Amino acid sequence: MNAVEIDHVGKWFGQREGAPLHVLEDIALTVPQRAVVAIVGASGCGKSTLLNIIAGLIEPDAGGVRLFGTAAREFRDWRAMTYMFQEDRLLPWRTAAQNVAFGLEAGSMPAAERRRRVDETLELVGLSRFRDAYPHELSGGMRSRVALARSLVTEPSLLLLDEPFSKLDPTIRAQMHAELLRIAALRAMTLIFVTHDVEEAVVLADRIVVLQPHPGRVRLVQEVGLDRPRDPLSEAVTEQVRRLRLALSEEPAPC
Amino acid sequence: MLVRTPEAMLRRPRAGVVRAYGGTLLQRLALIGLALAAWQIGALHAPSFVLPSPARVWTAWTGLVATPSFAADLSITLGRVAAGFALAALVGLPLGLALGGSRALGGFFEPVLTVMNTVSSAIWAIFALIWFGLSNWTTIFVVFMTAMPLILTNVWQGTQTVSAEHLELARTFRMPRRKVLTKIYLPTILPAFFSGARLAIGFGARVVLVAESLGASSGIGYRLRQAADLVQTDQVFAWTLTLVALMIGLETLVLKPAERRLFAWKKASPA
Repeated sequence: MNAVEIDHVGKWFGQREGAPLHVLEDIALTVPQRAVVAIVGASGCGKSTLLNIIAGLIEPDAGGVRLFGTAAREFRDWRAMTYMFQEDRLLPWRTAAQNVAFGLEAGSMPAAERRRRVDETLELVGLSRFRDAYPHELSGGMRSRVALARSLVTEPSLLLLDEPFSKLDPTIRAQMHAELLRIAALRAMTLIFVTHDVEEAVVLADRIVVLQPHPGRVRLVQEVGLDRPRDPLSEAVTEQVRRLRLALSEEPAPC
Repeated sequence: MLVRTPEAMLRRPRAGVVRAYGGTLLQRLALIGLALAAWQIGALHAPSFVLPSPARVWTAWTGLVATPSFAADLSITLGRVAAGFALAALVGLPLGLALGGSRALGGFFEPVLTVMNTVSSAIWAIFALIWFGLSNWTTIFVVFMTAMPLILTNVWQGTQTVSAEHLELARTFRMPRRKVLTKIYLPTILPAFFSGARLAIGFGARVVLVAESLGASSGIGYRLRQAADLVQTDQVFAWTLTLVALMIGLETLVLKPAERRLFAWKKASPA
């Protein structure tokens, strides 16, 4: 069973003036369970829209999405899927532990069980010592870890990431990448992430989907068969990055 | 070229802070001394029913505190302020949340707020007198009508600061609307609610006297009018001092510490 099946999805956005903007055209994509898939393209090419459609936050105008074999319309187990934003979006009035607990508060759960899960997840991202710190007392990297823990605490089987960690500096970013892959393998999660950074895509993903703009459609799908862990400076990775950059630069018009 | 901070400048902040605190205290004391002196000089040149001397007011105040009705009047008035304020908070907070949470509701009811804010407390007092007669409810109503729009307006404005990013986050977790209100809206508007509540208590404590002097047979406002009718100016002064002391006490002993505790999560602003 595939984690996500995107079946000829199309999307238009109404504009104040003129014809509706064609954002996505005929997107077809399958994401097997436990896969790591990157969606790459220049900014404004409908990457985030596609991710929001998978997340069920935006309805597609054409086609449909199936999640774990169930049509999105009938899908009820939304807590099996979490979403990580570009920004950490921590609530400033909550401590790290309380921010992680936020992930569980949409549903109902006994307090003891919630506490256990929060502690376990903080341990997983290596933040146990900072459970009582407020966001403004944490560094950017630690805040990112809290946000990651908040996405993991529901024990999702699918994690969607919209340009994750793109605001972090390169060293911490590389750490977060390693951390993410380790946890994804440990928890048998499927990852779908959006990025404009080709190198990030090659380092993380098993499969890279390159979108092209006006309207957004799949230009090519590239399997990445490299061994892990992948060193961003190794020849195999840089070669792959170079080829993808070339493919991207062939676009007729930048958006 | 590296610029090294001179040592004298490194030390200055701490010493400066201490000096600033000491300076403030001295300034306050000087101000009180100056006011007392001016009061004393004025009292020497005016009949005591116009301006009683500080000593005379002090005597009147000690006498007032000793009377059995003092505690009763004080607690009646404070009780009315508290009741009016509690009702105002109980209505203003959820209403502000509802109006701020829904654009349609907010737009529709906006003019009502303007009307409520423009009507003077004295007018509410007269209406209350007509509707409730000489009862507790007259004063409570006036406090309520003054305090409620203040709280409502502040909470409403507070909802405008609710982050769209946080709402979207809650949406990705499929958080039900009721929980979004209590877990995102409520904490976000709390600082705004607090400043509204502070204003409301201040205004409430002032208008309660107007209401009591117009339509009550007990409480501080009633005593003030009584004293004025009998030209007991020293009594009026004694009550006024009591109220001022009470409000300062409330601010420094209750509101400030509560605020510090509630908003401990805020980033400390650089001193």
